[in-house]
Amino acid sequence: MNAKTLEIQQFLQLSEKLTAFSEFQLQGTGQLEEYYEAVYQIIGEKNMIQLLTTFDKIQDETASDETAFDKQFRAKVLSDEKLGPITRSIIKLWFVGTWYQLPKSWNETFGLLENDKTYVISPSAYKEGLLWPTIGSHPMGAKAPGYGTWSAPPEIPAID
Amino acid sequence: MSLKPIKTLDDVKDYLYAGMQLEHATIPTYITTMYSIHPDTNLEAYNLIRVIVIEEMLHLTLAANILNAVGGTPDMMKEGFLPEFPTYLPNGETDFEVSIAPFSHSTVDMFLEIERPAKPEEENTGVRLKAVNPSQKRYLLPCLKDENDQDVSYYSIGDFYKAIEEGLEMLCDELGEENVFVGDKSRQVTPEYYYSGGGDIVPVYDLESAKQAIRLISEQGEGFEGGIYDYEGELAHYYRFQQLKLGKYYHKGDQADEPTGEALSIDWEAVYPIKTNAKMDEYPKDSELYAANLKFNQYYKNFMDKINTAFNGKPETLIPAIGGMFIIKQMAYEIIKNPIPGQEGMNATPTFEVDKVELLSDEELNVVTPQHG
Repeated sequence: MNAKTLEIQQFLQLSEKLTAFSEFQLQGTGQLEEYYEAVYQIIGEKNMIQLLTTFDKIQDETASDETAFDKQFRAKVLSDEKLGPITRSIIKLWFVGTWYQLPKSWNETFGLLENDKTYVISPSAYKEGLLWPTIGSHPMGAKAPGYGTWSAPPEIPAID
Repeated sequence: MSLKPIKTLDDVKDYLYAGMQLEHATIPTYITTMYSIHPDTNLEAYNLIRVIVIEEMLHLTLAANILNAVGGTPDMMKEGFLPEFPTYLPNGETDFEVSIAPFSHSTVDMFLEIERPAKPEEENTGVRLKAVNPSQKRYLLPCLKDENDQDVSYYSIGDFYKAIEEGLEMLCDELGEENVFVGDKSRQVTPEYYYSGGGDIVPVYDLESAKQAIRLISEQGEGFEGGIYDYEGELAHYYRFQQLKLGKYYHKGDQADEPTGEALSIDWEAVYPIKTNAKMDEYPKDSELYAANLKFNQYYKNFMDKINTAFNGKPETLIPAIGGMFIIKQMAYEIIKNPIPGQEGMNATPTFEVDKVELLSDEELNVVTPQHG
């Protein structure tokens, strides 16, 4: 496994924690590599490495203790002044296929990032948004569910 | 199933059942190849295959209509109706493998073999059959024994349907048309129960409509009287697939094998490297992939059961069942986009092993079907 493949794997594991969708479901969107590349281009190598190593370290330290992981993840990633806003944009990215520009407060502290603009990553990003399965629907104008299916109630998957 | 030359009405029913099996068996291979193409790339190739798949669904329905018209039972739920892949086309000394495989040059060659046109009359030695060396394999195009007890097979799907047509003509002469087309008319899938599916559905009540249905199947597959178009002026399947091989579109007035139209660009790399003819057992038992593929097989079986219900006296259930195909598509994509755990560089594929799973109800599968009526 080369360095990049390894980073993509870490990004996948991080995304699993951020979205509560499984690795299989996330890979099933076909968007993993594209999102990794996009985030890498937007936040830059340094920030990406900081994010992934912080996440990796928490995983190592807490092993399979979920409560401990949760606590540390909230403290060191989600509530972190630098990493928190980045992870929130990653969550939105997976759910709606759009990268949301980091907040102004982030820029004031950490500076402007050249590629950090709000934009739809690609045509498939919209179709593959996790939003759709979450609400038991489908992206309008894409993934049509077939004639007459509008007469059936939405199928919302059970939450484990 | 081993067939005999057609002598009785039961023989015709066996042929028509084999025809349904054949039409349906092309669908898993065509759709999996289609879904192995990265979404939003190779749109021309994708759409070209898609149109053919929809016509195969029409052919399946037409074959069911003819079988119902002669009083047969289109039992799609019988074990072995969907063959295990690879299945085979008998091809003389060696058999030709029909696989569930990623989009590639060799897969296109396989599609061409499936859809190969009948040889021109002058090259036919009176019979459309050729000697084969049968094994215990299950064939896509069935084998039969000729008068000399030799194992033979039809050269093309069109040849196979031609034999059905001649059999029906012979039986009508012998028994009278009204004693051949004895099926309950209400079992026919008529246009009100079939929408925009690759051509017009033909309800079959007599020899003339049976011949019309057969003509539609044969010509959509391999062209009209050796030409590259069917009688509706649409390019036959064989020549559509050939455009992928030759990288060029046919243009009106072109001769077979020599398209002169625009270039058709294909990115052969924009394809998920799915494992050819993967089986359930090859996926780790505790993986989500295993569970997803199991669910896919169960869902596909439930879907086949719905189509089967429609073909067995409830044609009004066909349209509401069709929505299931879109779910099948999404389930297939999710599987295809995932690598097989532990098998580097190899992606998964739905395995279509319907005989290995139980038939589950909509409730058990958590499926919502729209109400009709």
